[in-house]
Amino acid sequence: MINVEQLIFEYPNLRALDEVSFHIPQGSITALVGPNGAGKTTLLRCMAALEQPVSGNIRIDGIDVLEHPRECHRIIGYLSDFFGLYDRLTVRQCLHYVARAQGIADEDCAAAIARVSKGLYITDRLDVLAGTLSRGLRQRVAIAQAIIHSPRVVLLDEPASGLDPEARHELAELFLDLQKQGMTLLVSSHILAELEAYSTDMLVLREGKIIEQVAIKTHAHAQDFKLSLATPVANLTAVLQSIDTLKVLKVEQDQSALLQVQGDSLQQHELLKTLLARNLPICEFAKITSNLQDAYLDTIRQRP
Amino acid sequence: MNLNPEFQRQLSLEFSPARLVGVPLVLGVIFTLTYFLDHQNQTSVTAQSALGLFLLMVSFWGARQAVDSVLEEQRSHTWDTQRLSALDPWTMVCGKLLGSTLVVWYGGVICLMVYGLTAKNTSNLFWVYSYALSSGLLVQNISLLLSLIALRKGQINSNSVIIGLAILAAFTIGSWIMPLSENPQALQTIPDATWYGINTTTQFLTLISVCCALFWCVVGNYRLMAQELRIRTLPSVWLAFALFLIVYTGGFIEAKQFGEYFYTSAFGICLTLSYLIAFAEYNEPMRIKRLLTYITQENWQRAAEELPLWCVTFVLASLLALPLSFSPPADIDELHVYPIAILLLLLRDIGIFLFFSFGKNPQRAFSLTLLALILLYGVFPGIFSAVKLDGMVAVFFPLVSDSLVLSIIYMGVQSALVWYFLYQRWQESV
Repeated sequence: MINVEQLIFEYPNLRALDEVSFHIPQGSITALVGPNGAGKTTLLRCMAALEQPVSGNIRIDGIDVLEHPRECHRIIGYLSDFFGLYDRLTVRQCLHYVARAQGIADEDCAAAIARVSKGLYITDRLDVLAGTLSRGLRQRVAIAQAIIHSPRVVLLDEPASGLDPEARHELAELFLDLQKQGMTLLVSSHILAELEAYSTDMLVLREGKIIEQVAIKTHAHAQDFKLSLATPVANLTAVLQSIDTLKVLKVEQDQSALLQVQGDSLQQHELLKTLLARNLPICEFAKITSNLQDAYLDTIRQRP
Repeated sequence: MNLNPEFQRQLSLEFSPARLVGVPLVLGVIFTLTYFLDHQNQTSVTAQSALGLFLLMVSFWGARQAVDSVLEEQRSHTWDTQRLSALDPWTMVCGKLLGSTLVVWYGGVICLMVYGLTAKNTSNLFWVYSYALSSGLLVQNISLLLSLIALRKGQINSNSVIIGLAILAAFTIGSWIMPLSENPQALQTIPDATWYGINTTTQFLTLISVCCALFWCVVGNYRLMAQELRIRTLPSVWLAFALFLIVYTGGFIEAKQFGEYFYTSAFGICLTLSYLIAFAEYNEPMRIKRLLTYITQENWQRAAEELPLWCVTFVLASLLALPLSFSPPADIDELHVYPIAILLLLLRDIGIFLFFSFGKNPQRAFSLTLLALILLYGVFPGIFSAVKLDGMVAVFFPLVSDSLVLSIIYMGVQSALVWYFLYQRWQESV
């Protein structure tokens, strides 16, 4: 869906993006993470064709962004870190303006406004001036503006900053809902816990370079488990490898192992029975919930 | 109804019910006052006030509205939303210009109606109305143009400067229109004008000139808006504008002196345009890097898009300098018009401006350049002139030198030095 190749962007005396290349699959929610000044906002602005890089290629849904920036604008929604609302207009007027500006016919605007306001829980605020809204509500209106034309790709720069936990939870649900509708999302944020609720992939950017791209949520039927034994078993690796429904990732001192297990809860139950049937002194068999923060910190530690 | 969305939004913001009622109410109070003053003094105070108020409203208030329609977007962080919209540049320009100033024109039309009803001298009414409307539109268009330039240069707090210029324009227009409105014989006292041998009235030629200026302002607004919306533009329109100015100005040269002065006039226009656009354009080191990258890749289309516009008029001036160099020098008092030396002067001055623009504080580039040019053109020559070192005066201002070769050497050395330092600074920046 999104292909970025060898992207270079420079400010005077500073290379903000240094030969950045990555691919984002359709229907994914990719977390763009990195420390302050890593180049996240610049990358998003280049992808939204708001900034012109020195060189490189960006393709979104087959459109060459640098060659045809206006065509790119038609298929993307962009939320900047400043929400960009017209404070003197009501929420309905703001949404109506953006809908019309995005080419939605006047007679279809009401339906589009109703759709996005329902999805963002702002139906009861439509006739309120945007300038009087709280930060959380302003942010929802800004997202509504970004998606009112049902873009195929949505780029969001720090969408959850300043939101309370409840608003963040609602935001996560919204992103998952957008994903179900077939949209591809790229979300930059500092709050890794918030990204974890919905991200399928993670892009780590540091000093203008992509240092890691990982899939956070792998196949739904493959999960990592930790197996611990009360006492060491000499041939533990061989025993485990003889079972078809698991893959041995790591064995430590014949007493613990990291396994990748295929299948749903019932199959996990069957696997546990099989392990017990092999007379293994199991004292722990637990799912490993590797979180985004761990993945990010691992990446940062591994690549100083 | 599918109205221009930007126009509709501007209307929602600017044409509030309070203004709809308030504007005629305030004007009504003012005209009631002038009506009583009229009655007492037996003069057309109301008519003059109506015209004066019209000029102030369309210039001062209109300019402010036009400027805010662009710069306020950036200050409110809504500009990106507009840039990412599907609106085309023409819709944006019309929407902003007409939408933001409609309330101003609402008041302005009331003023013109009052003027029409109360003016004692109605013989010049057509000209007064024509000038008032066209100049009002021109001032607002220029304000929008300047605000788009300011936006591109990141000078989003330039409102007061632009509005100040608009007030100046209002006084200039007023000095032209007011006599027409007061004196029925005013037009008879103005001599006729000739343009390329066509005899016409000065008032007609002035009106046509204002309309041409308005046309080019609209074109300029369209181009700048297109650039903001990331639509690629070639420098062809700038070239067309320069050629238009050359042809237009050439029409005022007397037929018998045409051959003698046409090239000089065209050369002067190209120089002036080069200075103006060099100061007006957004000069960033990365643009030059992109330009060089495209040239290296032999991507001429992209290279032309990145080419600074002053280069276009500089090349045109260089072409005009050739015939001028072989014609008798058109000296002005003690100054010698050496085309090559003047071109080098232009290069030096633009080099100085770019040197400051590529520095750490490009916002100060204009004032620093102005200071440098005052030193180079005024202070240093003045000091050497005072101590009778005329040779040294020519070093800084070579047009006083009697030797063409020396003037070229002086300017060549200075330009080379400035561009050497500029190159160093550019390399540090990219």
